[in-house]
Amino acid sequence: MNDKAIVLKGIGKAFSGHVAVKDLSLEVPRESVFGLLGPNGAGKTTTLRMVLNILGPDSGTIEILGKPADHAARDRIGYMPEERGLYPRMVLEDQLVFMAAIKGMGRKEAEARLGPWLERLGLADWRRKKTNELSKGMQQKAQFIATVLHEPDVLIMDEPMSGLDPVGMDVMREVMLDLRRKGTTIVLSSHQMEAVERLCDRVALINRGEKVLDGAVSEVKARHGKNTVVLAYDGDGSFLGALPGVAKVTDFGQYVEVRMHDGADPQPLLREAVARLRLRRFEIVEPSLHDIFVETVTRHGKEAA
Amino acid sequence: MSAKLWAIVKREYVERVRTKGFVIGTILGPLLMGGMMIIPMLAARSTSKPLSVAVLDATGSLREPVEEALRAARFDGKLRFQVQPVPGDGPEGGPAALATPGASEAALKKAVLEGKLDGYLELPADAVSAGTARYFGRNVSNRIDLRTMERAVSDVLVGQRLAGAGLDPAKVKDLTKELDLKTIRVSASGEREDRGAAMIFSIILLMILYVSILIWGQAVMTSVIEEKTSRVVEVMGSGVSPTTLLAGKLLGVGGAGLTQFLVWSLSLFGVSLAMAGPLAGSIPMPEVTPLMLVSFVLFFLLGYFFYAALYAAIGASVNNVQEAQSLAFPVMLPIILGMVFFPAALEAPDGTLAVTLSMIPGISPLIMFLRIVVLTPPLWQIGLSIALMVLGILGVLWVSARIYRVGILMYGKKPTFPELMKWVRHA
Repeated sequence: MNDKAIVLKGIGKAFSGHVAVKDLSLEVPRESVFGLLGPNGAGKTTTLRMVLNILGPDSGTIEILGKPADHAARDRIGYMPEERGLYPRMVLEDQLVFMAAIKGMGRKEAEARLGPWLERLGLADWRRKKTNELSKGMQQKAQFIATVLHEPDVLIMDEPMSGLDPVGMDVMREVMLDLRRKGTTIVLSSHQMEAVERLCDRVALINRGEKVLDGAVSEVKARHGKNTVVLAYDGDGSFLGALPGVAKVTDFGQYVEVRMHDGADPQPLLREAVARLRLRRFEIVEPSLHDIFVETVTRHGKEAA
Repeated sequence: MSAKLWAIVKREYVERVRTKGFVIGTILGPLLMGGMMIIPMLAARSTSKPLSVAVLDATGSLREPVEEALRAARFDGKLRFQVQPVPGDGPEGGPAALATPGASEAALKKAVLEGKLDGYLELPADAVSAGTARYFGRNVSNRIDLRTMERAVSDVLVGQRLAGAGLDPAKVKDLTKELDLKTIRVSASGEREDRGAAMIFSIILLMILYVSILIWGQAVMTSVIEEKTSRVVEVMGSGVSPTTLLAGKLLGVGGAGLTQFLVWSLSLFGVSLAMAGPLAGSIPMPEVTPLMLVSFVLFFLLGYFFYAALYAAIGASVNNVQEAQSLAFPVMLPIILGMVFFPAALEAPDGTLAVTLSMIPGISPLIMFLRIVVLTPPLWQIGLSIALMVLGILGVLWVSARIYRVGILMYGKKPTFPELMKWVRHA
């Protein structure tokens, strides 16, 4: 058995002259949580649509669970698009059973599996209600059930956290991790990298249709070194940027993030800060994916220029 | 049929048939149609009670013959007038000639206004020679009654003139008897006298066909737009191909349309048959043949698939119903042309125009059906018309499926016609 859930080889897609995805290759291992990250318009949704065979790639090949992507393969995928979509006037229960049927699951089986899901997400009292009578949060949960009811091997969610309240996010995270433990491969796409980076085992960062970097999250971070210092203090810290070895200072209000040049020693920074400020916190941390992304993209831009 | 296609067909059908609009439309449709059919027939036969009229005669000699003629005047075998004496007339008031014309006229006007009389006829002194008379009534738009009155009075005046010239009115009438042309439709299932009912009936059927095709075609368009605006289409797209989705929609909505159409047409034909029995004599019902019933349903389905496929393409290429309006008109053009040309086709159902129109896909469902109702066209013409229509549907489906495939995932600017053509070429 192939240990890859999804393999993309050199896929490309252009829309009337505009290149959305360019020579993109990715491998998503089975039973992992994979983050497809990048800013808006980077080509994430287009990539996912190609995986689901909603769009055909102009070039390249796609394999799902070891087989070429076809109609049968995509029945094994649960897809939650960024723009959520349910029939507004359909009764919730009928709607969810119908969505499972679209993915090839029979009525009896779908009905049997529906109950526990509704219970778990707190929608049991709403099963005979029309979808447009549900609140936004409940519709999100309903959409999630529609995505997983047919028990997919691969779960693809485009911007899964958008529009969710904090409670909803916790429930979603918990359910996702539970599914992963049971062997489901999960692909998340998002432009809010902080929101999903904690969930992901592996990530790929894409920008303007091209892969910028990918790998296991720990690897990616290690590759970029522990070159970020977080400081919280009272007093005027404006001198920090002028200290030797400091590349960039970002003030977040409650704390300041100082990025060191590669290989620079943060010890002189600590000594200066202790001498001149009332320091409340000093911590050497891994860079966030966001920082890595920005840094990599900037460097790529420079190389291209 | 694959399980997925079946699920879509079933959803489209069930969700539609469950709506209040569908139930009400299905039940009210036949009632409205029944009304549309029966009321004009009843109205045309004028079952209102006879008019109560008086005759104000200034000639002094015409009152009795005119009154007599009015009493005897019939329309469609029924007496139409009850002649009342002029107020102040008769034994108590003395002979009418003695009363001043002005006084009698005032009394008559009063009687009309009070509703004691429906109206009165005034014969001037020179009525015979000038051939004029005036009718004063509360209602002067009852053409049929007035026409009956005109004929009765005219007969009296002509009779007077003939007598004056020394001729026998009865003999003259006999000699100048007019032709009474009855029309009888000949068909395989027998002959039946037709008093214009066939035409009214065929127009009603045509209207139902036209309205049903458009309503259900547009239902497909609305459904496509709804899937786009609610963004369900992308979820659907992750499970089924756009072609399956389109096919499921056309079949499901078509099934709902067919259900309603069958209820409508069966009740219509049922009423028609029921009335042909006990009421055959009093209400002329057109003949309903099995061929008519079958072609009614068949041409609805053909028309539906043709226009629904076009409407689906429109729905896929726009963002909302408002945007669809401007694109919808060119699509409706053929069926509108059918409605424009149907009187000509009715006039000469075997003429070149009618035969040509009944072969053009999109127009043929209306015109060929009309031709089948008013006469029985050669079978090869019916067959050719259906074959061409099926080819037309396949062509339209081919184009629409391509536009649909691209359009359902497109949001934003409404595509221009050249862009749509590009979708068709590249899809």
